[in-house]
Amino acid sequence: MSAPQIPNLHTLRRGVGRRGGRGRGVASGVAESNNETNQTRKDAIVQSTDTDAATSRLSAVEAGYLDDPFAKLLTHGGHVDRRLPLMNRGTYVRTVAIDRLVDEFLRSTRKCARQIISLGAGSDSRFFRLKTKYPDICLSYHEFDFPTNTAAKIHQMQNPSFAHSLKGLCNMDLPSSSTSLSNDGIQNDSFQLQADSCHYHLHPLDLRTLTNPKRNQDQIKQDLSRLGISLDVPTLLLSECCLIYLPPEDADSVLSYFTSAFHPAIPVAVVIYEPIRPHDAFGRTMVSNLTARGIHLQTLHAHDSLAAQKERLGKHGLGSMAGKETGGAEAADIDFIWQTWIEEAEKERVEGLEWMDEVEEWRLLARHYCVAWGWRETSDNVNDSVFEPWGQLPMQDEEA
Amino acid sequence: MSDLDKAIAQLRACRPIPESQVRELCYKARELLIEEGNVVSVDAPVTICGDIHGQFHDLMELFRVGGDVPDTNYLFMGDFVDRGFYSLESFLLLLCLKVRYPDRITLIRGNHESRQITTVYGFYDECIRKYGSANVWRYCCEVFDYLALGALILGATTDLAPTSSISLEESTQSTLPADDDDIESEVLDSQGRVQCKTIRTPPLRDPPTNSTSNGHISPAPDRDALSPPAERPPSSSLPNASSPTLGSTPQPSTSQQSSSSFPIHPPSSTGSILCVHGGLSPLIDTVDKIRLLDRKQEVPHEGAMCDLLWSDPDDIEGWGLSPRGAGYLFGSDIVTHFNRKNDLSLIARAHQLVMEGYKEMFERQIVTVWSAPNYCYRCGNVAAILEIGEDGANGGVVGRSNGDVGRRYGLGEEQVPHSSLPPPGRRYRVFEAAPQDSRGMPAKKPVAEYFL
Repeated sequence: MSAPQIPNLHTLRRGVGRRGGRGRGVASGVAESNNETNQTRKDAIVQSTDTDAATSRLSAVEAGYLDDPFAKLLTHGGHVDRRLPLMNRGTYVRTVAIDRLVDEFLRSTRKCARQIISLGAGSDSRFFRLKTKYPDICLSYHEFDFPTNTAAKIHQMQNPSFAHSLKGLCNMDLPSSSTSLSNDGIQNDSFQLQADSCHYHLHPLDLRTLTNPKRNQDQIKQDLSRLGISLDVPTLLLSECCLIYLPPEDADSVLSYFTSAFHPAIPVAVVIYEPIRPHDAFGRTMVSNLTARGIHLQTLHAHDSLAAQKERLGKHGLGSMAGKETGGAEAADIDFIWQTWIEEAEKERVEGLEWMDEVEEWRLLARHYCVAWGWRETSDNVNDSVFEPWGQLPMQDEEA
Repeated sequence: MSDLDKAIAQLRACRPIPESQVRELCYKARELLIEEGNVVSVDAPVTICGDIHGQFHDLMELFRVGGDVPDTNYLFMGDFVDRGFYSLESFLLLLCLKVRYPDRITLIRGNHESRQITTVYGFYDECIRKYGSANVWRYCCEVFDYLALGALILGATTDLAPTSSISLEESTQSTLPADDDDIESEVLDSQGRVQCKTIRTPPLRDPPTNSTSNGHISPAPDRDALSPPAERPPSSSLPNASSPTLGSTPQPSTSQQSSSSFPIHPPSSTGSILCVHGGLSPLIDTVDKIRLLDRKQEVPHEGAMCDLLWSDPDDIEGWGLSPRGAGYLFGSDIVTHFNRKNDLSLIARAHQLVMEGYKEMFERQIVTVWSAPNYCYRCGNVAAILEIGEDGANGGVVGRSNGDVGRRYGLGEEQVPHSSLPPPGRRYRVFEAAPQDSRGMPAKKPVAEYFL
């Protein structure tokens, strides 16, 4: 019993063609300058994903999901729209899942320095939260991002209220000569904070510049030393929705760049948070909605499942090893992590924060994001292991 | 053209009507709704719809696929507002249609028709954005308080008959097999093409031992004397000459014999269908108990009224805690018992996103209908509506006193009347989201949120 007087929008639309065709595979022959403008525009969109993530973080903090006094201080603009409960919960699970892996890495029994390299960190506040939580921590923390993003972060840090919290909570001071911003507001040198044996480095760097295959191992080691990255400290490499925006081969090169620079005897780990499962109805809609916004999840199809994520880590030398070398590669989706990693009392607290009338939608959304973590180390006994606790986390069986 | 028709035309174009008209509309709607009971009786044929959630363009698609008002009778099971960008236009249009064609459209309350929920999930903000004040939101919330909590569909047919109530000139009907009376359910796409269908199998009966079936079918012989036949005419045995499969009309005196080998209910009649937004409540064991609630209030955080709007069926036994923080989970045993006790052949409900638009559970005793395609512009799901045909053989006479069934068995008898009634014939129409770039209607490009 259709109503013929109501026009069928589906047929009217036919022949219009798909919108938003810009993006991948720009035809060759386009003028170089056009390509550059196009690339700049695409980069700007990727850079702006940090604003989105910062908004989500601040929303989750303001709704009581996360305790993070730095979120507001590092978010440009101050007030943000409140996100829906399921978005807040997703931000919460993502944050606490990575926090847990980082905590285990920092607290593991071997008392020595630790190093964290965070790719595309944007306005992330993790370092400041860690320093607040572990005042005596011996940690070297490096963040990489586009110069635009690091400049914005430094700008936020110049705010007196940030300096006040930095002093009060982290017992750290901003460098006195903090006028190193150049005229265009872009800083090209690394920015540093230091207190005792704790270092924070902010590196303005387009990660794609690291993918030049002509640089040999020695040159890479020199590069890293110049950036202040130590090659003899247990190191965790973190990509929270960063590598996904690179072309797959570039994303691989970036991972290799860091993981292969370390001697096999040095414990190294990678933690990745990003979307998965692009093939079902939700996944297809996600890809097309984000494409319409100019956001291309470029590695999504290459690493489209938990298994594919583990395999990816394995290819970078993280995973089960033989002999003295140990390691692992695991992945779990956000739905699983919410169900199994969060203690009951905490879950109850979170469930009590807001009405959650989006149960099916939440599961759908949460099953399309995953945390993958892989590690390698050499140890004679389990007490020396840095990553032993990582093997104890609830593991998700293969794709449901 | 009356003011109401003008308002309908304006809203159909997805343009809000002035605040003064909203106030007047809401006043009229309240006057109308206050006369309705908590459980509205609705005669088949009717098309059952699930959540809309402010997806106005998809509501237009629903009307295109299901037929326009007043040509098609509609029953909307709540959640008109929140989440989508056009809650206001969607709800006001439905309300206008309700006032204009009160017998053609039934609206019952969903858990989002609530002050508290609409302030979290978007309707409140939308009203502020479109009118600059909370007045319109307040008028709408006052209407929410008067919406019925459920509906009972009477006179549904068990078989999908192409000739029942559906006009033959519709092209969508031409694909129906004209000679097949045994179709129990079928699924059509938005073009009216049959995607799949199920043929009715003989209903599951209790083992045909006289002692068991006897008790389930009619009162025990010794109680016959106490209750005169005239007092308990089971509608299942209403004379129905047109029913070819009925070997003998089951009379009370012969029910013992007929019970073991014949369906108790002629294939052309069935129990009624309870429609409710969420589901059942541990505090409600009869439809009559729903009628006793004081519904004219904000949806409470707990209690029977809350449960009806918040609960979900689940693969558990008995009752369980709901992950939503309100309402309960209920298992198949609960549904079986409730349906038997209340002479229901089906519960239709909404409330839960299902990717295929509809989901039948517990051996077709309950169905979820979801009518918001690509929910929140993000989920990628299709939507469905459920058409229930009219029992033409009864000539439109409703043969069942619903909710009063227990009276047949005398007072104080906790007795399960009989085994499950055959489910009604069900025709699902599945449709996809309307394109967002529809001309003539404002269509702000929706931004679905992701984790970036």
